Amino acid sequence: MISRPDQDGDQQLRLLDDAWGKAAEYWRDGTARQFGAAQLTPLLQESRSYLEALRKLMETLEAAERDTEG
Amino acid sequence: MTGIHADIDALKGLHGALVKYRHTQRDVTARGEDQIRATRASLEAKASRCRTQLELSQAELGACQDRAARAAADDTTRGPVDCSGYARAVEQYGERLEAIRRWQQRIDAEASQFQGIAGRFADLLENELPRMEEHLVAIIASLEAARRVQAPASSS
Repeated sequence: MISRPDQDGDQQLRLLDDAWGKAAEYWRDGTARQFGAAQLTPLLQESRSYLEALRKLMETLEAAERDTEG
Repeated sequence: MTGIHADIDALKGLHGALVKYRHTQRDVTARGEDQIRATRASLEAKASRCRTQLELSQAELGACQDRAARAAADDTTRGPVDCSGYARAVEQYGERLEAIRRWQQRIDAEASQFQGIAGRFADLLENELPRMEEHLVAIIASLEAARRVQAPASSS
């Protein structure tokens, strides 16, 4: 079964979040905090917003296909 | 090695994860767009088939109504001609076509709304993420350079 793009995107987001968590265990200076706050956190937030919008749209597309079958 | 360079290794891991993230999310966005196109094409094909069936049913109903009118005028025929089956078919195809049109309109509206956020995300993947990766590479290089400078001093 082929997975939906939003589900794959969620999985990739979790992997990136994990990688950031691992990096943050060892990288704790001011540069790390700035990188996290100014770059990585906005990336993760924007990704979550996009993937949530994609999930809703994919569900609408599936409902449209189901409802117009036959 | 692990203790001293664990931060650099972790940053390299994060850099690799960012590069992979950019590529895989590009694929996600492309598949999302493909899915929108595929569903639109599918609905258009269904609408087209339904219009054809509706036109055919309308023609059959018209022919039946003509026969019914002729039968009503002709006293020698056995009874009234029943066109209700054709009328039901016209009604059903009409409703089905209307339902498909409503889905098409809803998808157009939602896809249009989605394009805004998808555009911002695409820009992030194409422009901001590579800059983040470059920034991280520079940080890693800087840490490695500092370790190279520190290493002889710490060994003496």
